Amino acid sequence: MKLFQLILKEAFHRKLNFLLSLLAIVTAVALFAAFLTTARASKRETTRLMRDIGYNLRILPKETDMERFWLDGFSEYTMPEEYVERFAMQENFSYSHLLAILQQRVRLQDREVVLTGIGLEVSPPDRKKPSMIFTIEEGTVTVGFEIARSLGIQEDDVIEFLGQPFTVVRCLPESGSNDDIRVYGNLRDVQRLLNMEGEINEIKALECVCLTSDEDPLTVLRTELAAILPDAKVIQMEAIATARREQRLMIENYFAWIIPLVLVVCAVWVGALAMMNVRERRYEIGVLRSLGYGSWKIASIFLGKAVVIGMIGALLGFGIGTTAALSVGPDIFKVTAKMIRPAYALLGWALLVAPMFAALSSFIPTMIAVTQDPALTLREE
Amino acid sequence: MIHLENVSKIYRTGRGEVRALDAVDLQVESGELVVVRGPSGSGKTTLLLTIGGMLRPTTGRVRFDGADLYSLNERARTRFRAENIGFVFQMFHLLPYLNTIDNVLLAAGAQGRRAGKSEAQEILDRLGLSERGHHKPSQLSAGEKQRTAIARALLNQPKLILADEPTGNLDPENASEVIGDLVEFRHRGGTVIVVTHGTVADQYADRVIYLREGRCLAAGES
Repeated sequence: MKLFQLILKEAFHRKLNFLLSLLAIVTAVALFAAFLTTARASKRETTRLMRDIGYNLRILPKETDMERFWLDGFSEYTMPEEYVERFAMQENFSYSHLLAILQQRVRLQDREVVLTGIGLEVSPPDRKKPSMIFTIEEGTVTVGFEIARSLGIQEDDVIEFLGQPFTVVRCLPESGSNDDIRVYGNLRDVQRLLNMEGEINEIKALECVCLTSDEDPLTVLRTELAAILPDAKVIQMEAIATARREQRLMIENYFAWIIPLVLVVCAVWVGALAMMNVRERRYEIGVLRSLGYGSWKIASIFLGKAVVIGMIGALLGFGIGTTAALSVGPDIFKVTAKMIRPAYALLGWALLVAPMFAALSSFIPTMIAVTQDPALTLREE
Repeated sequence: MIHLENVSKIYRTGRGEVRALDAVDLQVESGELVVVRGPSGSGKTTLLLTIGGMLRPTTGRVRFDGADLYSLNERARTRFRAENIGFVFQMFHLLPYLNTIDNVLLAAGAQGRRAGKSEAQEILDRLGLSERGHHKPSQLSAGEKQRTAIARALLNQPKLILADEPTGNLDPENASEVIGDLVEFRHRGGTVIVVTHGTVADQYADRVIYLREGRCLAAGES
């Protein structure tokens, strides 16, 4: 009789033990699959949400009246667009993303809206980060919730701005901020419409880090920027930076605790069931010994069973975890829902790691089975 | 064939030492059927397991065909057992999830050889279990279970069968049949040592040995 058949027949006979062990592995793999499938979306969602609150740095024209800026949400002055390039070229700061913006208050039909031109996002040349912000094609606009609602604008509508037609590609969901009265367009289009070619009134810079000093970074930042961007000034969104950092740390800490916890609970669970299995089969072990089965063969029976449980658990767990992530994930991570896709590489890892994990969890019971004195058991009867 | 020289076995328990075997000298020749009798706790099972290479004696030597069984390492002794010794237990100890044929074939797995189902079926036929090959132990009578256990012990064509109370759970009719199977094995040239309370095997035994408090009290020719 082949070892595999022996394992399957025993598993079928002691269904409850087998199913409970399987449940432990399925639970562990399903949680991992669900977490990891949604992790990318979760991380991205966090970043996106933090970005929507604001950037670490907002670089503004030097003459900007800050009272007015905070009232209006943008500067009435402009600075050269090439400042983005200059900032990108400097070596004393690291940054993740730069974005050039031009904003003006204009009329759309009978409403006043903030027309926001967004340039292409600039990332460091050595980093291939995906775009943090939606890109807007020339000739198209994205409309904020309140404007779309009050003017009855829908996707694919064509609206006129200062005599120019634009196709509405998206109407944004309600944000509860002044983004609801914005109309986003391509920076080139907005510059052309406003006759402000080559001008912008803000650079948003995310995750800027001063590399040169351990002094107050904002002071150093301002000094350094004054040299390369003489007509600009910088404000640091410290609270937002802190919030972002804390949010990320919270997510990371959450994963750092939950994953080992799940592992330990499942390992103890599988180990305890394997121990029960060994106890229940002690006469069987004694008989196998009397038939001349060596330690390795006895160990193979128990470890083999663990491996079988691990493999079936990996398949089922991946299926359940992925299905859960695909069905529940989009409701939780609304912004990045499209990023939640089955991670088939996880299946390969699960098939590799879950049997090893199950075997490792069953190791102590297996050793007990192997070292159990068959004479003691057989004398019991 | 089997030679026990001054074999003692002492169990150390929380309440002190228990001398299960006390300086036992015993010789069993090839082709003999030896019955070992004695009250509970007299050391019968300990004697059987010691002869079978499963329980190292505290002192003394166990020789099997001239080889000192306990000078072999664990692995070699396990292999030796698989090739030369078959065990039969009072409680049968059939694997409940295997059918009769698979329970018999289990013995072949110990040697790493692939025994065919026909080989197992042939032994089952000989023991009157032709129709029971695909039944699970739970579907067999006590006598059939014990004969299945004997079939399992016979599969590897051992030289020696060690039977520990093989009739202990059987009615007289089945007990007689099981002893008959062991006698049949002896007639084919095998050696049998039977530990039993009952007397049903006595008429077939070459010798009956009495054990009391780990000592052989007497040995007589049958």
